[in-house]
Amino acid sequence: MNAFALMFLVAGLGLIGWLTARSRAARFDRGGAKRLHSLPAQHGFFVAMWVVLPALLFVAAWGAISPALVKQTVLEHPAASQLPQFDFERDALLAEASRVAEQPGVAAFDPVAQQLVAPTRAAKVRYDWIGTAGAILLAFAGGAYAFTRIRASFPARSSVERGMMLMLLVASLIAILTTVGIFLSLLWESVRFFGQVSITDFLFGTHWSPQVIDPARPGRSLGAVPLFWGTFFIGAVIAMIVAIPFGLMSAIYLTQYAAPQVRRWMKPILEILAGVPTVVYGYFAALTVAPAVRDLAVAFGYPYASSESALAAGLVMGVMIIPFVSSMADDSIAAVPTAMRDGSLAMGATKSETISRVLIPAALPGVVAGILLAVSRAIGETMIVVMAASGAANITLNPFESATTVTKQIVDLLTGESEFDSPKTLAAFALGLTLFVITLLLNIVALRVVKRYREAYE
Amino acid sequence: MNNARATQSTQAQERAPTDWKTVAMQRRIRKRYRAERRFRFFGIAAVVLSAAFLAFLLVTMVAQGWRGFTRTEIMLPIDFPASGMMVERAQLDTAGADLALAGAGLENAVKSAAAAAFGPGGESYISDNAWVSVRKAIKHDASVLDRKTQMRVPASSEVDQAMAGRGTSEILAAVAKLKNAGLVSRHLNLDFLKVSDSTDPVAVGIWGALKGSLLTMFVTFLIAFPVGVLSAIYLEEYAPRNRWTDLIEVSINNLAAVPSIIFGLLGLAVFLGSWSLFGYRVGPLLPRSAALVGGLTLALMIMPVIVIASRNAIKAVPPSIRDAALGIGASPIQVVFHHVLPLAMPGILTGTIIGMARALGETAPLLLIGMRAFIVTPPGGLTDPATVLPVQIFLWSDEVSRGFVEKTSAAIIVLLVFLLAMNGLAIYLRNKFETRW
Repeated sequence: MNAFALMFLVAGLGLIGWLTARSRAARFDRGGAKRLHSLPAQHGFFVAMWVVLPALLFVAAWGAISPALVKQTVLEHPAASQLPQFDFERDALLAEASRVAEQPGVAAFDPVAQQLVAPTRAAKVRYDWIGTAGAILLAFAGGAYAFTRIRASFPARSSVERGMMLMLLVASLIAILTTVGIFLSLLWESVRFFGQVSITDFLFGTHWSPQVIDPARPGRSLGAVPLFWGTFFIGAVIAMIVAIPFGLMSAIYLTQYAAPQVRRWMKPILEILAGVPTVVYGYFAALTVAPAVRDLAVAFGYPYASSESALAAGLVMGVMIIPFVSSMADDSIAAVPTAMRDGSLAMGATKSETISRVLIPAALPGVVAGILLAVSRAIGETMIVVMAASGAANITLNPFESATTVTKQIVDLLTGESEFDSPKTLAAFALGLTLFVITLLLNIVALRVVKRYREAYE
Repeated sequence: MNNARATQSTQAQERAPTDWKTVAMQRRIRKRYRAERRFRFFGIAAVVLSAAFLAFLLVTMVAQGWRGFTRTEIMLPIDFPASGMMVERAQLDTAGADLALAGAGLENAVKSAAAAAFGPGGESYISDNAWVSVRKAIKHDASVLDRKTQMRVPASSEVDQAMAGRGTSEILAAVAKLKNAGLVSRHLNLDFLKVSDSTDPVAVGIWGALKGSLLTMFVTFLIAFPVGVLSAIYLEEYAPRNRWTDLIEVSINNLAAVPSIIFGLLGLAVFLGSWSLFGYRVGPLLPRSAALVGGLTLALMIMPVIVIASRNAIKAVPPSIRDAALGIGASPIQVVFHHVLPLAMPGILTGTIIGMARALGETAPLLLIGMRAFIVTPPGGLTDPATVLPVQIFLWSDEVSRGFVEKTSAAIIVLLVFLLAMNGLAIYLRNKFETRW
């Protein structure tokens, strides 16, 4: 039985446990002179918990170990002696046999794999039955144990609530687990990478061409400085040149000048810009903006302008970031005490003078924090650069030339055909670690600044 | 210091009041008002240009994409009795009809009919899949097999492009001739929503990718919603203030800002990589390019969004409600699950829908975990190889053939319609159930 059917079965058993326990507890209520400690439904939940949880834990554990058991059994089969000794090929054949075993009426391509189909199917069926039987047995055992414990004086509610609390705690630990998982998996692969490539070559090398790697010294063609520069140039310079003035000025206009009616309509419209999927921006950048930028460059007298220029990707990325900058600026301008604004206006300053000499300086920490967060988002943005920027790693100040970014290279390195342990694939994880650390630092600094600034006016 | 300030203030008192009527002052005021108008203009310009960019984006997509929902169809005369096809009539009503027609050489019959009708090379005018629509017509009404008839079949990609004025001069002339004879026309193509990827731009559809997206979203919701809401409840209602809960808070806030591509690396390393644990080789835990892996990866990505939105919704429920419930004897768990959670639900759902919309539009992490395969059959389950709508858009955008441009834009329109619907639902929920306490 597959895992989903099994889960439904266990859930059904849990429901049955809930119903029986509840009706039993309800009978306690009517016959006995003593009051129940808990409501009948709580007794029901107590039993259901004991039915479902052990069985589900077993199903999860069995799902993790049973493939290994199947493999073990198949390898003991006489036909398995013909398998190649080399791990990689052997696993491929076993995978083929296992795939065919699940689809009746299909034959395997490889004769050895075809011989192994029958034993694989038999082993699968056997371990499936063991798993199903184990889960049902555990469900009944847990249910029986819980059922014998319920009586009028039994504090089912406390048990159920303890169980609930545990569940809540586990749910909130998943966030930590994810963070730790990200950090450890990136670190682990990066350590393997730095075992093959020296860390100084990677961080300070200025030549990036992962297509041709010299096996003797892979670090020579894996210097990431051009990527760091391209990321900074596209995400933190070009995109911000678009996003900061537009975002800031629209926030100022919508909060300080616009009629409430206009504000009510324009704010959501601008926020749609943030909701458009990045792949749509990427397509737009590659198909519409990039050719236009190239034509512009040719008109300016750069006949060899790239059609995958840094400018096209940066411009579109900047537009995407506008609502982000604008909503952060909006919040921090709104947090400036009105007394400061009214004071300035009362002294005879015009509205624009009040804004540029009082509101903006007072809101500056918040605005700067918003810009830092926007930069962190821009440098982590992937699809626009994957589709519109080039793969050629240049260090250039000319926006019409091509530049590449860290995210673009991660995608390029991992979607090509290459084995998992080569320095090429591992380099993607090292780049990912660098990206993770930089965005993390930007966020921590930004959140610190925002917190401090909020305290200043509260 | 004190002295200086004193003299300054006496000077200020002694100074004559400003005469605003002088020419210099008037000029200064005019200058300041000009600056004011300029500043205001910049503000309007920023808002208008941003909105204009959005409008430009949408108009471009619709202008390129509407053609993707239609296809060029060509009137093909077929003489079935003369084609020499041997078909058992009795089989046409059974499940084996497709096989029987294919075995009878329907594909060749259709091709030779095209060559006969449009002259040598005429078979290149109709799509490679044209015989499928002929097959459908035969299954619908078997009597056509006895006579000479005309059928509208999908035209090939070259004819389709020539209708839009692109192509070599020969094909343009040929299509102009067909057009004058009234043999080619454009029609709504509902197959675009019903079939999957293909190498031929006139035969592609988004159903496979859409189904992959729906399966992925299903997994994402199933994981992220309960886990996100439960951890929000814990953090907001029960968690003691100590170093551990601070750590949880910090990691949730940081996870919300981690670039999405990092989650792809996590999925690749943890779900799809093999690692050794206590000397045992574990993994890959899950099948590559399956909706299950994509859903899990996206669930980890949007969980912080749901946690943050849920916490805000729970925080907005006034404490008096908790106090009242506690006062009549509810346990802390009952207070939350009977009172606080139902009241916070609209806010939680709004946040969840926004998070799900983000997951639906996400591409980068799914590219890394291998959901970029060429999928011709829609995935049947969570562990089948699948792709999703945004990835399909990315894959089509890489195609060289001109016919894919409009299909890509059409797929983008479908994606945007879904996202708009989800965001609209979120706004509706917020407005309908929003409570001001």
